[in-house]
Amino acid sequence: MIKTKSQIAVDIIAKIGKWLFIAFFLLMTLVPIIWLIITSFKSNLEYETEPLGLPKVWQWSNYAKALNMSGLPRLFLNSVIVAVCTTALNLIVSAMGGFALAREKFKAREPILSLLLAGVLIPIIAFMVPYFSIATKLKLYDSLLILIIVYAAINIPVSLFLIYGFMSDIPKELEEAAVIDGCSFSQRFTRVVFPLTKPGLVTAGTLVFIYCWNEFTYAMLLTSSVKSRTLQLGIRFFKGQFVVDYTSMLAAIVLTMIPTIFVYIFLHDKIISGMTAGAVKG
Amino acid sequence: MRNKNWKQICLFLLPALLLYAVFFIYPLFYVFITSFTQWNGIGSMKFIGFKNFTDLFANETFRISLKNNFIWSFALGFIQIPLATIMALVLARKPKGWKVYRTVFFLPNVISQVALAMMWTAIYNADGGILNSLLSAVGLESLTRNWLGDMGTALGAVIVQQLFYIGYFMVVILASRMGISESYYEAAEIDGANVWQQEIHISLPNILPILITSVTLAMAYGMRHFESTFLMTNGGPAHATSVLGIMLYQNLGALKYGVGNAIGATLIVLGGVLIMTIRWLLNKKSQKMMG
Amino acid sequence: MKKLLTVCLIIALAVPSLVFAQGSGEAKSQEIVLKWPSFWVGADTKAAPITELVNQFNEAHAGSIKVEIEENPDTDGYRDKLNAQIAAGIVPDIFILNVDPTTLQFFEGDLLMDFTEDLKGDWGNGFLDGTLNAVTVDKETKAIPYEMAYTPIWYNTDILKAAGVDKIPETMDEFWTMCDKVKAAGYIPTVQMTGGTNAWTSMIWYSHLCAALGGPDVWQKDFATDPVFVQAAELLNRMYQDGNTSKDAIGAGPGDAGGHYLAGEAAAFSNGPWYIARVKNEAPAVYDATEISTAPGINYSGAQTGYLLSALAAANTTDPARRAAVVEFMKWMTTGENAKKVSEAAGSILAVKADITSTDRIQTQFFQAVADASFVVETFSAKFPVDVVAEFGQALAKMAQGKATPEQFVAQIASVM
Repeated sequence: MIKTKSQIAVDIIAKIGKWLFIAFFLLMTLVPIIWLIITSFKSNLEYETEPLGLPKVWQWSNYAKALNMSGLPRLFLNSVIVAVCTTALNLIVSAMGGFALAREKFKAREPILSLLLAGVLIPIIAFMVPYFSIATKLKLYDSLLILIIVYAAINIPVSLFLIYGFMSDIPKELEEAAVIDGCSFSQRFTRVVFPLTKPGLVTAGTLVFIYCWNEFTYAMLLTSSVKSRTLQLGIRFFKGQFVVDYTSMLAAIVLTMIPTIFVYIFLHDKIISGMTAGAVKG
Repeated sequence: MRNKNWKQICLFLLPALLLYAVFFIYPLFYVFITSFTQWNGIGSMKFIGFKNFTDLFANETFRISLKNNFIWSFALGFIQIPLATIMALVLARKPKGWKVYRTVFFLPNVISQVALAMMWTAIYNADGGILNSLLSAVGLESLTRNWLGDMGTALGAVIVQQLFYIGYFMVVILASRMGISESYYEAAEIDGANVWQQEIHISLPNILPILITSVTLAMAYGMRHFESTFLMTNGGPAHATSVLGIMLYQNLGALKYGVGNAIGATLIVLGGVLIMTIRWLLNKKSQKMMG
Repeated sequence: MKKLLTVCLIIALAVPSLVFAQGSGEAKSQEIVLKWPSFWVGADTKAAPITELVNQFNEAHAGSIKVEIEENPDTDGYRDKLNAQIAAGIVPDIFILNVDPTTLQFFEGDLLMDFTEDLKGDWGNGFLDGTLNAVTVDKETKAIPYEMAYTPIWYNTDILKAAGVDKIPETMDEFWTMCDKVKAAGYIPTVQMTGGTNAWTSMIWYSHLCAALGGPDVWQKDFATDPVFVQAAELLNRMYQDGNTSKDAIGAGPGDAGGHYLAGEAAAFSNGPWYIARVKNEAPAVYDATEISTAPGINYSGAQTGYLLSALAAANTTDPARRAAVVEFMKWMTTGENAKKVSEAAGSILAVKADITSTDRIQTQFFQAVADASFVVETFSAKFPVDVVAEFGQALAKMAQGKATPEQFVAQIASVM
């Protein structure tokens, strides 16, 4: 197809615009991360007085302090267990519920859907007292299990929202074909819909994993001893009543960021690009 | 007519509904009931009817917070989402290095808000922060100011900071966009449609459900926004950046459970109304678009 | 596939519950276990000496009483958790109470152990004057005073000398002259901040100004109507204008504020004894130049601000053995000798009368300042509930940028009282 001069000019402008757009957001995204890493090598005085310069002396001791955080391996293990189990529980529950809501018509459908989705509006911070109450009544206070259950529940509205959205996109014909082939209700789920929703599941799962990894308020509220403490609570040890060891805290934050970045890069990217190789529509 | 699969439907819905009932419905009852009382968490609850609500609506801080929440919702829903959509559409065309960009853009969501807040406070610092230093360096010294302390700029500053973080929704929209078969685009290309036309006629209609979902979700986040503002300005200066979430937290901290939960109840009700309205409007518009 | 899902679900729930769920509840026959959630852990200077004291206590009472510290270093989180626990009807065995009108509400009902009777006599006499009053509501004393906060004014004498100021200002006129000279020499006269949860440095200044204007009973006056509070606001406001403070003061948090002083940029500052170690370690030049003093006098002079920072409280119990154990522990923590240990190791000032020999120059000045003070007044943050204190910072930010007059400042705060 031959392009006219003006079309070529528009193309070039569009191309420049596109790259500027990408470059701008790359900058906005990377600058904070680079700043974080640089600051984690500064002394606290430098952070408070010269937050934007390079450290005069690279304080590797901050990382030593972060690594020496008491119980670090245990905290790491706890965070991993909570994140993995919560994600599994949340995805299964949301996928099942999403399937029923997205692929079936029944009278109670709209009300139930609205009810569950309304949960995204709720400021979870308002639930401290009831959640504490529930944890103690179930005798699960200070356990990893309560964190798993609570986190899985908290993320149902968002996961369901996403998974329901992705499931709605699947053409009815695929399921109808499966039914003709003799699939039962559950088999429609396990053989047709669940596999096809993988992008949605992976997206929702990534978000849940990261939520669990970074969550602080309820981890603090519902646990107290080392056996159920997560990394986020460990990081707070650098915060005293009047004096905060900001730079060691940042070192600890950088360290805890690394696993989540790996999870995102390897799991999410690989699976998404694998899955979208075979398109759903068309 | 009852759906013949109703037994399996119930079974599939049961886990989600059970967890939801325990961790959302039950606490919601608690929130709504206590919002009609005066309670400090220790003594007995004193039923005072709608007084908390009438006091709230007469309270200037509340009105400012509510207004700010609406601003947040619309900013996230109608600025952040479009930006995320554009980026998703750009990356879906797989420009060089697109996988790297996709990963990078999501990174801020992986970092704890505490670190991000520390970073942005340093950027906005009035006394040599990055923004002011940059402005001075290019000769725009007159534009330098105390971004987070000046009542006129504080809200804008905290909102703009969040608007840049398009990674979360970009990933969602990108996943949907990449589910559209390439063959459509190839056919359109052959027919002479340029990129712009392809995006409007192929991409947008197909990702519309996810777009509406994303806008709804973003608006919901706007209504319950709390963390980044709390960490950067604590609702200040003079409540200029205050949002309902912060007011709620402060009231709970002051042992005013009745007031705090009234704020929570209001947030949920008003937010629900707002979002259902927007959703209904968007759905109508999309139906018109689809013909 | 469905079976696989079910199995996954079961594993996801079962593994953690079987392996990790409930570990507590070691049924020791008669040992009384007292759980003490505490934020005097980790980086806190009191962590080491207090842990040592607890260990000594446990050794001395091995088999009968055991105190277990549960670490929760985040003070805001600690407070949130305590509030949630109490609202759910559960009180920790022993806990730290940051004393203010909001937390004193915990005294209502029967949640906390009442020490009134136990304190009559020698034990009660061992506390500094006024501290027991601070934890007594309706004649019931349900907490044991522990740590004091004194917040005098700190001056960087190097800066004063460089600016040609030969002595620490004693009147407001001298103070403003000092500010002008310090500005001219290129330094920041006063550190101020409107941020954080209580606009700490500015709040302390305001308290000093109120004391200087209204005397020892200033907080008995009606905040909404007494002109003293507006006058103090005018003075505080002036400290924000004309370069009398740093450019980032509005919205600044304690880190930024302290940073200016540590960097040797600011002449006048205020903070408590816990900050001494910080200055000594991170800014030794500033440490050497620091002198502790009073704020300028106006109608009254020589005042200091200080209050009971924290107290130890305990859950009420009907079990007499348990009660005795708690009282035993409280007494142990507040003996003169043990208070001395903590004080000397951490630099804190405790509410217990103790014969402290300080080796630190600035800490000695602190003690001297308190002893020499004509009277001591609580800070605003100790006198009023947390939401009023929060409003202080908000109103201050508004006044400081010219959007509210001092009268409006006072009115805004009074409206939430």
